[in-house]
Amino acid sequence: MNLKVLYGTMKKELMIKYRAYPAHFFVGNTLTGLYTVLGAWMMWKFLFEGNMAQDFSEITGTGDYISYVVVGSLTYLFVVRTCLNVSRSLITELREGTLESLMLAPFKRAEYFLGSMLVQTLTTSAEIIVSLIIAIPFGIDLSRADMGAFLIAFIVSLYAFFGVSMVLGSIMLYTRDTYISQNTLFAFLFLVCGISFPVQYLPEWLRVIAEVIPVTEAVNLIRVTLLSGSGISEQMQSVQYILLLSTAYVVVGFMQMKRCEEIALEKING
Amino acid sequence: MIIAEHLKKTYIVKQGKGLFREKQEIQAVRDISLQIEKGKIVGLLGINGAGKTTTIKMLTTLLSPTEGSYFLDDIDGVKYPVEIKKRINMIAGGERMIYWRLTAYENLWYYGQIYNVSNNVLKERIDTLLKLVGLENKKDVPVETFSKGMKQRLQIARGLINDPQYLFLDEPTIGLDAVVSKELRSHIKHLAKEQNKGILITSHYMGEIEELCDYIYIMNDGVLIKKGTVKELTTETFNRKNYVLRLDKHSKEITECICDKLKVVDATVEVKDENDAIYINSRENISMELSRACMEAGLYIREMYEKEPHLEDAIIRLSREVHHEAVY
Ligand SMILES: Nc1ncnc2c1ncn2[C@@H]1O[C@H](COP(=O)(O)OP(=O)(O)OP(=O)(O)O)[C@@H](O)[C@H]1O
Ligand SMILES: [Mg+2]
Repeated sequence: MNLKVLYGTMKKELMIKYRAYPAHFFVGNTLTGLYTVLGAWMMWKFLFEGNMAQDFSEITGTGDYISYVVVGSLTYLFVVRTCLNVSRSLITELREGTLESLMLAPFKRAEYFLGSMLVQTLTTSAEIIVSLIIAIPFGIDLSRADMGAFLIAFIVSLYAFFGVSMVLGSIMLYTRDTYISQNTLFAFLFLVCGISFPVQYLPEWLRVIAEVIPVTEAVNLIRVTLLSGSGISEQMQSVQYILLLSTAYVVVGFMQMKRCEEIALEKING
Repeated sequence: MIIAEHLKKTYIVKQGKGLFREKQEIQAVRDISLQIEKGKIVGLLGINGAGKTTTIKMLTTLLSPTEGSYFLDDIDGVKYPVEIKKRINMIAGGERMIYWRLTAYENLWYYGQIYNVSNNVLKERIDTLLKLVGLENKKDVPVETFSKGMKQRLQIARGLINDPQYLFLDEPTIGLDAVVSKELRSHIKHLAKEQNKGILITSHYMGEIEELCDYIYIMNDGVLIKKGTVKELTTETFNRKNYVLRLDKHSKEITECICDKLKVVDATVEVKDENDAIYINSRENISMELSRACMEAGLYIREMYEKEPHLEDAIIRLSREVHHEAVY
């Protein structure tokens, strides 16, 4: 394994996406960070301040809603960014007319998609760091963070997001759509996966659905390690659950993607 | 050697709008068998919609055949498409198949990565290919600023980046100027004859096919209707001979006189008088009789030759014949 495809794809994406407008990219990053934090703060200010449900701290183990929602929102930003990039990669190739020349080559799909994921991980991480700095005056409190545990949680979560991207990507390639399916899905994830309020507030049946989307548990894990300073050993069960569930997503995603590739190629006329 | 037998491709398309769309089957290729030897250039001809591109897509494993078998140097292409991909490449006419936002060099570099070409080989190969397609001075310019022909040329370089053993060319010279297409043709010949690559080419320029191909397959409506060398195809389709004759004098009487003399040898002969030449169409070789007739009439021959039928005429004739058979 020489990782040429992985490295090549990363370099290609960086060149295509960011070379032309590096300034736009930087300003864009800062702005998304600001909006995300501002959105979270407003949610706290107008919805929850003062009349926070009694059981919030019981369920979450923290009374600090602003930190809760900022971390949730930033994780969500991460999900959206990485999922979008990975799942949109093949449909972009289709639109730019390079799907066939790509598929002519005997390359490893896993490296291609991982490359796409890593590029986005790098750039989104920069975005998140900017956002966290912006969030400081809003009162986010990361003093109890366990950075070692967080790092592991982060990597495990990346795997989870990768699985979700593969499944979403195959749906998008199949429907040749990037907007309807993705926006519906992201809105759904935002509401169901415990981004801005605990899943315990959801009706029973929605909670069941939330549990089988790896994003839910991943957000939890990231939050626990960042906000309550929980070590990773206490979270082993959660880690295992995410890994198992995400593997199912990855397997199904790859199988579906192969199938959808074939269908997409059949639809190209001429 | 590539051996494809009884390939068939049926596209399923959904007709109409909304939820209740009807499925419709399109039999793009119904039955194609062909062979491509290393070192040989094979032509695939046919009118628009005959199924050439679909056939190429099956041979390049972009589409899996609905039926049929496909072997490349004894590798089963239906079962092991990845092994096929390593040994082939394809170049299509047009501006697709390259990244417009990347430069020429970056494009070739990326395709080199996904074909797993080792880096030191790749660098040299990119330089050679860029020189070949005349883009060495434009290598660091983004493709989006390229003209149509330049994009097409880059695509040709892309198709050679993995040094394929077999190459598929789908209308490769479309949109190229005369100079570049001539260079490309001589390079295609070089690839086959000097580098022993097997090549399949489709084109609507018959001159190109005549110049390049060792063997030709003609397809129509998804099936093979004829195959052979250029010579075989044209002489088989046109069993009559055509002569052009120019004399020192020219008149209706002379034409009639010659016609009368030839009728003795070949009753089906047709003689036409046009501009300053006489056109003769006969069933057999009558060049001897023709010159004797002129001498007897005391006429000097300024020019006389047999007109070779062109492949183009053969294609038109063949497609029309098939069409007629289908209709009547
Ligand atoms: N993706 C597709 N879906 C449905 N039908 C298709 C598709 N691609 C081609 N066809 C149909 O299959 C038939 C053969 O098409 P193909 O592109 O193979 O022809 P061709 O010989 O390459 O023609 P041309 O000379 O115009 O390039 C045509 O009737 C075409 O409309
Ligand atoms: Mg075609």
